[in-house]
Amino acid sequence: MNLDPILIPTKVAKPGMIVSDVFAECIRANIPGIPFCDAQGTICGRITLKNILKKACLPEYMIELARILGDQLSCMGDMEAKAKQLMNNPVDPYILEPHISLTSDSPAVKALALMEQNDTSYIFVVDEGRYKGVITIQGLARMITQFDNQR
Amino acid sequence: MHDNSELAAQLIFGWDPLWVSSILFIATYAVIVSEKINRAIVSLLGASLMITLGVLNQKSAISGIDFNTLGLLSGMMVIVAITRRSGVFQFVAVWSAKKVQARPWGILLMLSLVTALFSALLDNVTTVLLIAPVTLLISHELKTSPYPFLFAEIFASNIGGTATLIGDPPNIMIGSAVNLSFNDFLLNLAPIVPLILLITLGIIYVIWGRHMKASDETRERIMRFREREAITDVTLLKQSLFVLTLVIAGFVMAHPLRLEPATIAMFGAALLLLLSNVKNKASEQSENVHQTFGEVEWVTIFFFVGLFIVVKGIEEAGVLKILADHVIDLTGGDITVTAMAILWVSAVASAIVDNIPFVATMIPLIKSMAPSFGGAEYLMPLWWSLALGACLGGNGSLIGASANLIVAGFAERAGHRIHFLKFMAMAFPLMLLSILIASAYVYLRYL
Repeated sequence: MNLDPILIPTKVAKPGMIVSDVFAECIRANIPGIPFCDAQGTICGRITLKNILKKACLPEYMIELARILGDQLSCMGDMEAKAKQLMNNPVDPYILEPHISLTSDSPAVKALALMEQNDTSYIFVVDEGRYKGVITIQGLARMITQFDNQR
Repeated sequence: MHDNSELAAQLIFGWDPLWVSSILFIATYAVIVSEKINRAIVSLLGASLMITLGVLNQKSAISGIDFNTLGLLSGMMVIVAITRRSGVFQFVAVWSAKKVQARPWGILLMLSLVTALFSALLDNVTTVLLIAPVTLLISHELKTSPYPFLFAEIFASNIGGTATLIGDPPNIMIGSAVNLSFNDFLLNLAPIVPLILLITLGIIYVIWGRHMKASDETRERIMRFREREAITDVTLLKQSLFVLTLVIAGFVMAHPLRLEPATIAMFGAALLLLLSNVKNKASEQSENVHQTFGEVEWVTIFFFVGLFIVVKGIEEAGVLKILADHVIDLTGGDITVTAMAILWVSAVASAIVDNIPFVATMIPLIKSMAPSFGGAEYLMPLWWSLALGACLGGNGSLIGASANLIVAGFAERAGHRIHFLKFMAMAFPLMLLSILIASAYVYLRYL
């Protein structure tokens, strides 16, 4: 059984896009990130919600001190203006290295093993250099649930 | 010590060991100073060449490695790696900030004192790694510049580290080479440290402290921090504090117990590893121990290994003896002049280059001076001068100590770049002032 039934087709991020485009696509498809392709359509990176939020909203020192943070923080002020500014930022500063990928005819267990190996919950599916979509841990769980329902 | 003719016979092409070792030494140090290649790689390569080219054989190279220094360093690194997981350092930092009602100058003072204390009992790098993020968070919430806080903490870290045997690597090296105990450092260096810290903080107050202000609203944010939640594991906290207390007590009692500091640190590390793992399954133990050893700064440990061998090379070839004779000639064999020269040269050198290789070279150099001053027991003013100069000198510039660079790195990533020259313009004169105080102390007490 291949991965097609649980494949989530998505758009890719491209040079010139802004953060709100990526947010919209990730929220629509309910996935954590999408590939970033160059002008020729080759995947050369990825953009994730986690990385954008971390870079834009979270100073490094706050991560280690997360437990001690109180209920009033200066960064919470003027959230609306900050959000608007972030949404209009270009995506370029948030590009990460290319993500792990596999082909759509790979077995589900390979997808699971790769997720575990790379400590992630999603993988891009690429066939012959062409991006097809994303599979997520939720998709794999859905696949197993369907087996159970067929019993 | 090898006879030079014996060494020459071992050297490839029959080169003069004096020249080969000197060139290797200078080349190694030059590349270390350039910071183009990781310092552990450079020192190990220099050490390997000392052996490969025949300046040293493997046996004498290994005899040059000070395992007491390595044991003490790695033992303390293990203890600190486990202790920091409990969150106790962040708890103390935030707790101390709240104790002064989040007043900016009060926070600066408290964090500096905490930094100095932790630096004396742990190591400077770990201390600032834990204090700098808290400082950046607090100054951000107070809407004040973090620069005065970070500046004061850099100084407190290097000054505090001067006070004890385990506070700064130069002290560990000197203590081990000359067989000085924890108490020796406490009795000889700790008395001057509070005065230097007090004067430094006084100047920082005049320059920045008296202008520091924060609104009630921003201070309230600090008061709402939940420092108790920093403690992630109460059992681990108790175990860590128990072992840390035991180790410090062991250092104090080392002489009557006839134990070396490295033995005490290693025992403490092993005990804490045991206590923190005894209730875990075998697989969890393996994972925990692996993680702890992963946090030991192996780069520093191997840097030391290589450095000890490189210095052993120039020592065996007789280079240090020649240098020592030159120093004696220059100072006219006067212990006061020699002590002052060592203090000031160490301070300036440590502000510019890494103080570890400098001290590694100075130790055998000073030892070589023993006959000129009537024996090893007359060298004590020189050892204290070296320790004071090398530790306090680290404050002279942003690259003077690893702790300084760690703080600068944190500040830069938080968008508050510390400019090299701006820092040095304030730090170098302040460092010189601390050396002036140290000079008066050494002169009045030992000379």
